[in-house]
Amino acid sequence: MRGVRATHIFGERELPQQDALWYKDAIIYQVHVRAFYDSSGDGNGDFRGLAQKLDHLQDLGIDCIWLMPFFPSPLRDDGYDISDYRSVNPTYGTLDDFKAFLDAAHKRDIRVIIEMVLNHTSDQHPWFQESRSSRNNPRRDWYVWSDVDTRYKGTRIIFLDTELSNWAWDPVSKQYYWHRFFSHQPDLNWDNPEVREEMWSVMKFWLEMGVDAFRLDAVPYLVEREDTNCENLPETHAVIKDLRARMDREFPGRMLLAEANQWPADLCAYFSGGDEFHMAFHFPLMPRMFMGVKLEDRKPITEILKQTPEIPAVCQWCLFLRNHDELTLEMVTDMERDYMYDEYAQDKAMRLNLGIRRRLAPLLDNDRRKIELMNGMLMSLPGTPIIYYGDEIGMGDNVNLGDRNGVRTPMQWDAGWNGGFSPADPEQLYSPLIMNPVYGYPVINVYAQKRFDHSLLSWMKRIIRVRKSTPVLGRGSIEFLYPANHRVLAYVRKLGRDTILAVNNLSGAAQAVELDLKPYRGNILIEMFGKNIFPRIGDLPYLLTLGPYQFYWFRLKKV
Amino acid sequence: MAKMPDESILSDAFIHELINVGEVDIVVGVPTYNDGRTVGQVVQAVRAGLLTYFPRARAVIINADGGSRDGTQDLVRAASISDMSVSSDVRALRTLHSISTQYEGGPASGTALRTILAAADLLQAKACAVVAAESTTIEPAWMESLVRPIFHDGRELVLPVYRRQKFDGLLIRNLVYPLTRAIYRCLVREPYPSEFAFSGNLGSHFLQQDIWTQEPGRGAELWMTLSAIAERSKVSQSYLGTKARPENPPSDLVNAMRGTAGTIFAFMESAPSLWNGSRELLDAPCGGCQSTVSLEPLRVNRKRLYQMFAFGIAELEPVFLSILSPETHAQLKRLAALPEDRFAYPADLWARTVYEFSAAYHSAVIGRDHVVQALVPLFRGRAFTFVTENRDATAEQVESNIELVCQAFEREKPYLQKLWDGRK
Repeated sequence: MRGVRATHIFGERELPQQDALWYKDAIIYQVHVRAFYDSSGDGNGDFRGLAQKLDHLQDLGIDCIWLMPFFPSPLRDDGYDISDYRSVNPTYGTLDDFKAFLDAAHKRDIRVIIEMVLNHTSDQHPWFQESRSSRNNPRRDWYVWSDVDTRYKGTRIIFLDTELSNWAWDPVSKQYYWHRFFSHQPDLNWDNPEVREEMWSVMKFWLEMGVDAFRLDAVPYLVEREDTNCENLPETHAVIKDLRARMDREFPGRMLLAEANQWPADLCAYFSGGDEFHMAFHFPLMPRMFMGVKLEDRKPITEILKQTPEIPAVCQWCLFLRNHDELTLEMVTDMERDYMYDEYAQDKAMRLNLGIRRRLAPLLDNDRRKIELMNGMLMSLPGTPIIYYGDEIGMGDNVNLGDRNGVRTPMQWDAGWNGGFSPADPEQLYSPLIMNPVYGYPVINVYAQKRFDHSLLSWMKRIIRVRKSTPVLGRGSIEFLYPANHRVLAYVRKLGRDTILAVNNLSGAAQAVELDLKPYRGNILIEMFGKNIFPRIGDLPYLLTLGPYQFYWFRLKKV
Repeated sequence: MAKMPDESILSDAFIHELINVGEVDIVVGVPTYNDGRTVGQVVQAVRAGLLTYFPRARAVIINADGGSRDGTQDLVRAASISDMSVSSDVRALRTLHSISTQYEGGPASGTALRTILAAADLLQAKACAVVAAESTTIEPAWMESLVRPIFHDGRELVLPVYRRQKFDGLLIRNLVYPLTRAIYRCLVREPYPSEFAFSGNLGSHFLQQDIWTQEPGRGAELWMTLSAIAERSKVSQSYLGTKARPENPPSDLVNAMRGTAGTIFAFMESAPSLWNGSRELLDAPCGGCQSTVSLEPLRVNRKRLYQMFAFGIAELEPVFLSILSPETHAQLKRLAALPEDRFAYPADLWARTVYEFSAAYHSAVIGRDHVVQALVPLFRGRAFTFVTENRDATAEQVESNIELVCQAFEREKPYLQKLWDGRK
């Protein structure tokens, strides 16, 4: 499916001719440099280490890496509090180290997405330091200041556990400044043309270096207006469209991914007519996949997908099971949230803000069948899947670490010293490793899982390979079947003449299901993992039986 | 090892539907026959109750229909909640199936109950509630009242307590309640319920009993109560409020007598050791209980009751001679000779009469069904007296008078034991 629309040039490195829609076929791997591999022995992962471990990612089969923030930062929000947009946090290496990593990734046909935090900076950023230094400073208007803390009253507070207001008092310049997240993260003033130019300049800096895409953090909150909830405003969309237009003009083939934790209808506005974001996370779907498996009922999943409007052909949803944040429950009803808390976070320590700070394997009771089912849905529902680092081997979490640090512990490479993550003394590590007898690195590690065909890692490689064997799952349309057995989620993905049928048993018990496949009468089913042939579709409903949490992908073939 | 339930009463199509429902926590059964006028309201209340009080539970509404031709089944099916038909005003975590089946052989409440039991057993339901399709006074809270004691208190059978008009349920108040209470030493106000709930285990146990091989449809609910209290299952009662009186209550008192007295006599006969001795009182706590008597006007044709009693005494004398003791028979004859305004059938005599009938049923002095039928005119006499005694009574006085009837049955129980054992 490689097309010829955009050639991708960065410095001396050049990828082969590109399909401009590459992100639709991608399998994205989300990783934090700090957590992956420490080559310097200081207890922190770094770019050289990440480059050394690219073989693992290539072997896994992913073709895109999403890096969490690696910029200089006081690290009060795990790097989302940036104090210099044009450099690399020295802990992770140098700009040259980053370039070398980028080069190595591209040589393996792996693209790189980096974070771009447009909404706010760290309060340690020189821009803010200047801005707060006096009311007359030329950068004063780069942030949002006010004499009173009552403006934009209709705006919700996102970090309910830590923040009482979206305004914080600055004792230096004796005014309030606006912040949608932590008070140490002042919001930039996107009404200021200088800010817009400067942030585009920052993006250009990285695009020229060769990064393939940006994940734009916290996009709904860029612009504030009185008498609104200050989210998803037309002015915010205008800012993004302007950035997109500039990027398309100067760097065709690059991609913008929106982080906007919103309902589907609001999210769709970020695709606009295909001229704003290329991709956006489907936040409401994720908790409903967990809910569906726990309820053993497809209803939450089909309902949210039915509420998801069509998006432009060039756009794509980004699907994920877990990421670096809590499993957010903002986009569910109160009843659903209570259910999720009771089922997935009985221990209050697992709860954070409006979410659950746990990794995939512990959330699913370390049940291999459930982990496979969830990944099966992740890879077959419409969108581009993201795998969070460590989830390919079923890493655990540590809810005793503060904030969301419990899901950001070091990657577990082997059973040796520091789990193979770092040669440093364990006390030096940026975070303790997972040590418990179930998820600890002596048990759960890459080395051990590479040795066995039936390990989770081997299985993940297999499903990625199968997913990549067809463009249908990345680009095809979806049509839900509604078998009377509500424990079975079944859908048909189609692209051109290719058709794939996915059938998922959300239940812990074996199920029989009859599928109405009349439109496909005469086709035989070819199971895509084992390539075995199943009976031809006839006039009668197609009877399938599925084991507990089992799923099938069938290619339909007319013989 | 437990016997497998006889599943042959379930049609293939219905089993097909049950496969799609899968394992559930709660089954709500709704027996129907041409209940199109009321069943829609009932299932909507059931659905609201499930969504409100058990939003996380896997539940199914199962309609066992006796051959309706008035759209009853469609009204039940319309209560389904699924991703195929999303109603914007319904907030539900999960799918709720509302399914319907027509059983063979025409309307029969026993067959309907058996169908529901068999389905609940197949679905491994933890709790099963049954509600009557004509219960238009049903509230969503009934679901909580019936099912919660099973889920949360480990109860195996939950029986209703209704608020009834003082002359409603005469057979229950003068025969079923006092007799059950005296015989099985358990104070349950509605042993023959139209709304009740039971645990999955009790339902499975009941499904395996021999009752289903007998004449279908009569007294199965009462049999279930008797079985539970006789075997000392954990029984409780829940106050449900006002019980709607059917617009056209069944007028066939003979059939009603078969379903009540006939069922109790048969159960006593099937397991005498469960009652014929001294037993501790079985506690059946009542959740939310209030007064069970209301005073809305209800016309009762007393004259006809009186006439039918007198007529029966004369007409059935040969039968009574073989059933009743000479003393009792003589007293009843004396009563029949009294003018209406002086007629009174005292509770003690009524209790002895019932016990003599029970003993006659036991010894099968005549055909057992004839024994049961012969009780009908005598009950009319007792009903006349109850209505007369309570014509101007307050709710408390009615309660007190019902209690007196119960006490009479309890006092006379040794007399029954002697009769039963052939000592008298």
